[in-house]
Amino acid sequence: MNLSDLLAAYPDLGPWYTAFARFLFPLLAGAILWRAVRSLLRIPHTPESWGQLSLPNGTSIPLTHWENILGRSRSADVCLGYPSVSRQHAALCRGEDEQWTLYDLGSKGGVLLNGEKVEGSASIQLGDTIQLGGVPLIFLPQTVAEREELEEKRRAERPAAMWPSFLWLTVFQLLACTQLMIATGDSLVIPLAFLGLTGVMWLYAVALRLARCVGFEMETIAFFLSTLSLSVTASSAPGSLFKQLLAIILGLILFLTLGLFLRDLGRVQRNRWTMAALAIGLLAVTLVLGNRKYGAVNWISLGPLSLQPSELAKICYIFAGAATLERLFHRRNLTLFIVLTGLCIGFLGLMSDFGTASIFFVTFLVIAYLRSGDFATLSLICGGAVFGAGILLKFKPYILSRFASWGHAWENASTGGYQQTRTMSAAASGGLLGMGGGEGWLHRVPAADTDLVFGMLCEEWGLLIALLAVGSIVTLAFFTVRACRVGRSSFYTIAACAAGSLLVFQTSLNVFGSVDLLPLTGVTFPFVSNGGSAMMSAWGLLAFLKATDTREHASFAIRRQKLRSTPPD
Amino acid sequence: MKKIENRAIVCFLLALVLAAGTGLFLIRYVARGDRWASSAFNRHLYNDQGHLMAGTVVDRDGDVLSSVRDGRRTYYEDETVRKATLHAVGDLQGNIGTGALNAFAGRLTGWNFLNGAFGADLGGELTLTIDARYNYEAYRALNGKAGTVAVYNYRTGEILCMVSAPSYDPLHVPEDLESSERYQGAYLNRFLSSGFTPGSVYKTVTLVAALENLPGVEERRWGCEGSVPVGEEIIVCSGVHGEQDLAAAFANSCNVAFAQIAVELGTDTLRRYTEKAGLTSAYEVDGLPTAKGSFDWDLTQGRLGWAGVGQDRDLVNPCGLMVYMGAIAGGGRAAWPYLIAGSKNGLGIPSLPRWTRKTGTLIDQGTAEKLAELMAGNVERTYGAERFPNMDLCAKSGTAEVGEGQSPHAWFAGFLRNKDAPYAFVVLVENGGGGSRVAGTVAGKVLDVMVNGY
Repeated sequence: MNLSDLLAAYPDLGPWYTAFARFLFPLLAGAILWRAVRSLLRIPHTPESWGQLSLPNGTSIPLTHWENILGRSRSADVCLGYPSVSRQHAALCRGEDEQWTLYDLGSKGGVLLNGEKVEGSASIQLGDTIQLGGVPLIFLPQTVAEREELEEKRRAERPAAMWPSFLWLTVFQLLACTQLMIATGDSLVIPLAFLGLTGVMWLYAVALRLARCVGFEMETIAFFLSTLSLSVTASSAPGSLFKQLLAIILGLILFLTLGLFLRDLGRVQRNRWTMAALAIGLLAVTLVLGNRKYGAVNWISLGPLSLQPSELAKICYIFAGAATLERLFHRRNLTLFIVLTGLCIGFLGLMSDFGTASIFFVTFLVIAYLRSGDFATLSLICGGAVFGAGILLKFKPYILSRFASWGHAWENASTGGYQQTRTMSAAASGGLLGMGGGEGWLHRVPAADTDLVFGMLCEEWGLLIALLAVGSIVTLAFFTVRACRVGRSSFYTIAACAAGSLLVFQTSLNVFGSVDLLPLTGVTFPFVSNGGSAMMSAWGLLAFLKATDTREHASFAIRRQKLRSTPPD
Repeated sequence: MKKIENRAIVCFLLALVLAAGTGLFLIRYVARGDRWASSAFNRHLYNDQGHLMAGTVVDRDGDVLSSVRDGRRTYYEDETVRKATLHAVGDLQGNIGTGALNAFAGRLTGWNFLNGAFGADLGGELTLTIDARYNYEAYRALNGKAGTVAVYNYRTGEILCMVSAPSYDPLHVPEDLESSERYQGAYLNRFLSSGFTPGSVYKTVTLVAALENLPGVEERRWGCEGSVPVGEEIIVCSGVHGEQDLAAAFANSCNVAFAQIAVELGTDTLRRYTEKAGLTSAYEVDGLPTAKGSFDWDLTQGRLGWAGVGQDRDLVNPCGLMVYMGAIAGGGRAAWPYLIAGSKNGLGIPSLPRWTRKTGTLIDQGTAEKLAELMAGNVERTYGAERFPNMDLCAKSGTAEVGEGQSPHAWFAGFLRNKDAPYAFVVLVENGGGGSRVAGTVAGKVLDVMVNGY
């Protein structure tokens, strides 16, 4: 006897199930996220060590990054408190093929390698002697004892096992699927889609575990949010359920591919131009071939599939914008990056996709600040942007009308504040626990499962789960900031911060726009909104975060450290 | 690397912004969630015609004013009661925003923070503080005129009677409701949401300012010959009152005397006392904001004279005036007015009992007692105590001129000092004519039922 027969025989069963299960969902969500969040926030951990510099006074300083600045400044990675050493004196970077390079950063005292003056840069071997402004240092590998101690320490910091969370998530998926089947009366598409998700999730976990990966916190969060996405889609657009599942799978593949690609810094460096071109190309193609949907020309239809290339352009943009320290020495100004940004934002402006344009702009500010640390220039750029926006509004005043009801949604409940008031009313109807999946009405409002998805979460799944979804994104950002401390290269640090900031800012625009704290700009909630391109882009961005996770064996996006130390003789 | 790592703080700051904004949303959600849910388009609470799906509204004695029977919302069986309680109960179309069906839909359906609208179809019960009988008497006493009648207990804050006219039968909405002259402003609850020229009832404020600011004012005398030039204006009186002291001038409602007093007090003093009396502020009656009174204080001497007798551009809200009357009765402070006596959710669990909240000091105690005596004197000397049997009544009438060719608005506001009937009231009859004669009669009929029974 299947569920629909059972429900037909006992019509009271459905309401009773909902009344009971709605208490379970927030508990399960808490159980799923608790371990992941706690484990992610425990970072930073003991950093990796790539060698050490032995000082004249007998102490030695470990090199914890692939890119290290040597100097007198307190912000130097190897801080040398000698008056003859410049604030930023030299850099020691690990390049392709594990080759180390020594750079003179325009120091006053000069840099000597094995007694010879370094002009610009020079290749350096383990055991070489460096002199910075007359201060001698010896570049040494770690000793076996030190290495083993470090290994020991790092192994003790093993990430929390995630299988209980995966188990709870499976229960969540099972209960949610049943709830949605009861609410919608569907007994084929929904169970198949949920089964697909559960299967993919376990397949991923098993495959990576076999590859000796142990860190699954971010994936837990992403799979949880993707489950919410399927639930929302089942309620609002059951027809797109398989498409959404496919998007999750493609996203996962993108996540894996990009993560593996990011392992090799040299390869990454070589492809930055390609990525910049791809970002521009994707946006340009959209502009030429795009269709208008909800006021913005940001869709391309390929047969039955419609694609939003601007979502994928985000990944390319961050890829192109992040840079290694080595590159930052060569090219100190941001001109090319500003040109790239200008093109991207210009194209988005022409598409009238101001939400995505503002996301690009904030990402630009984050990357530019990380690269240059130059407040003055950035303030100037912000001022210019405000000025530019002013000019734009002067020539296209109709843009302003989109923001006219901002903050006054209830006074314009049937015009400009239509979507926001519906979102708030539906959200308030949900209470803490929600009306039950598939039992809402907000999905009948246009763009409910994308721009207003926060309202749908509140209405059907309750305020608690909606807040947990926002909290998940905040956790990812906190993790990024802390994991950066032990990142290998500035490329990973910058890319992860940019991706984290992008996810957070996009979530802010989505949530605040739907409840009238900000103008409604029509951007998606990462991982949750219904939409294939957005889902893939969110998973892709997660790869940048994964690439800063240098915990022992935690991340597939980190190449494992080859054991190299002085052989015992 | 360290430098770049330190700059990663921007990502942290963005995350904090997201958290802070979500916090702000939460605060709004807690504060306004029930109002958000109580929107006519919320299909969890309202059906597709916009009718509230569940919930019963009863008056203070348990008379059912509106409930759902067989899936349809119905009202009290008597048509006049339906009209008399329309602005308290609310209409089906959601046009009367102050009605319980619209304003308190959350409480009616048992909406709460934990469960939201889950189980709202069970319906709760909302008890209003009004008595349908008092509303019925008040609506009949208005006799088809536009206006408002309200009575509240100034010790507890319960609004016992609240009528706004014109009204209509919510079960048989007249077709010409929005076009006909006689239904003009029918959606408006005049008691809560309107401002009117106060006329002589405003003299209660001018008098308080005089008592506290003009030494020896109670011994002074004013002559009235029917009019007096003040600045560029000629202030006209309702009669020729001759030589009179302050009490007599108040009882005669003498414009000549009060215009001169107002000018002597000056704009700033009058403004201070008007604001202190709460006439320019809004009260929240169970979350429903009242309209603020408005006054133009940029005055010439002549206009100040008119403003001091409640003309010029003075506007007061009936609820604000009623609370001020309550404060005079209560020795300076009155109970905050409210409309919801209590509620039960769908499972029959009652709401917490409410406690009495007081206004700030609207008038100093000593002055309040003097003013009360003078208002009792008005009844004795002018209005006639025999019209108000068994009532220790203090009152002031008002006849507010509202323009050439229109009858003036009739006002009657005041309170009872009876121990067992601590009621403050306000009556306004739009274009009704003489204050005491028209509005006083309406007040007398309603108070008679309330004090002497029916």
